[in-house]
Amino acid sequence: MPTASEDRDVVKVNNASLNELKNALDDAIKRFLSRPDLFKQIHLHTDVRLALGWAGVFVAGATAFYAWRLDFEQSKSLTWIGLIVYVVLTLLQTLYAYFVEGDIIFVGKRKTFDKRIVTERITLYSRTKPSTPENPPAYTLSLTYRRSTSGGKSLLGRGQASEARPYNAFFDEQGVLDHDRFETWVGEIVGRVMESEAE
Amino acid sequence: MFADELKTLRRLGFRHVLLQVLNFASVLASGLMIWKGLGLLTNTESPIVVVLSGSMEPAFYRGDLLFLVNPPDTRYQTGDITVYKIPGQDIPIVHRVLETHDVVKPVNGVREKVPRPENQLLLTKGDNNYLDDVELYQGLDWLERKHIVGKVRGFLPYVGYVTIALNDFPQLKYALLGGLGLLALVQRE
Repeated sequence: MPTASEDRDVVKVNNASLNELKNALDDAIKRFLSRPDLFKQIHLHTDVRLALGWAGVFVAGATAFYAWRLDFEQSKSLTWIGLIVYVVLTLLQTLYAYFVEGDIIFVGKRKTFDKRIVTERITLYSRTKPSTPENPPAYTLSLTYRRSTSGGKSLLGRGQASEARPYNAFFDEQGVLDHDRFETWVGEIVGRVMESEAE
Repeated sequence: MFADELKTLRRLGFRHVLLQVLNFASVLASGLMIWKGLGLLTNTESPIVVVLSGSMEPAFYRGDLLFLVNPPDTRYQTGDITVYKIPGQDIPIVHRVLETHDVVKPVNGVREKVPRPENQLLLTKGDNNYLDDVELYQGLDWLERKHIVGKVRGFLPYVGYVTIALNDFPQLKYALLGGLGLLALVQRE
């Protein structure tokens, strides 16, 4: 896996916030794997969440607007409809995020031409393992990989991996992220899964 | 001041900005929907109001928060504390019902046996006022049910001062909204 050490912005986070640590690593993965020579990110989960969320916001806005414009008695039925539609949209959004999206942080696709068109699809999941008295908090990265051809109909290979590293392996005391070290680790895992499927 | 956050936003791209703005917008949207839902449940356009004057002392003081309901087919009784709005006036008034008058309006030319609650007429007076409210009714002798926003079912003292402050000093309102917006935009879930 090529690791280019080009000029990158310094990423500095609050060491005490597990949320910020995880988000910083997730963002680094997205940047790393979306490079032109690697994968093309599929934004389906983000787009669904955006669509449902913004639809809800507009429904809420429209309902409030009509309720403000019309007399209270007249607006009641419209307000009921708007409220129910909003609740349904919010529910759908929550269910999607919990069941379908889950821990996924990156979904990528790549097509290569090697006597035939080979499609590769990779999905990365991340989770924080909270700290115990013995261990510092850790970042668990899992990925599934699928290689197929003929438009996804014939499966060439499949692989998965899961590894955890404590956050202090990548962040120093100030909270600065060591890009190279992190990308080497991620690249090594991804490479291992992909190479093991090579024919 | 927000250089780090702005850099992060620029780095993560357009979708991310949309997501962050959605964070803020959905907080507002859910607040709005909760308010509207409460209004539908209590059958009143303004389920929570703030007392602005001292005309109901010692029961309610300026700055108290009042919780209203408006049951659709129930008569209002003498002694109920109602909030009403005279058409043409923006400000709701919180006063007690002094007299009620049940009117039988013929339906399709037929005189009904029992008067309907929605045709009730009311006269109100503030506990702390000397006179009843006829002067406030802008020419009407009685208040009609359609002028009533609701009757008081519960209250919280002092909490309403926040709303009074926000209304008297609009800069506070914008500052609060601006601060919340900024927070929602840079906070990650």
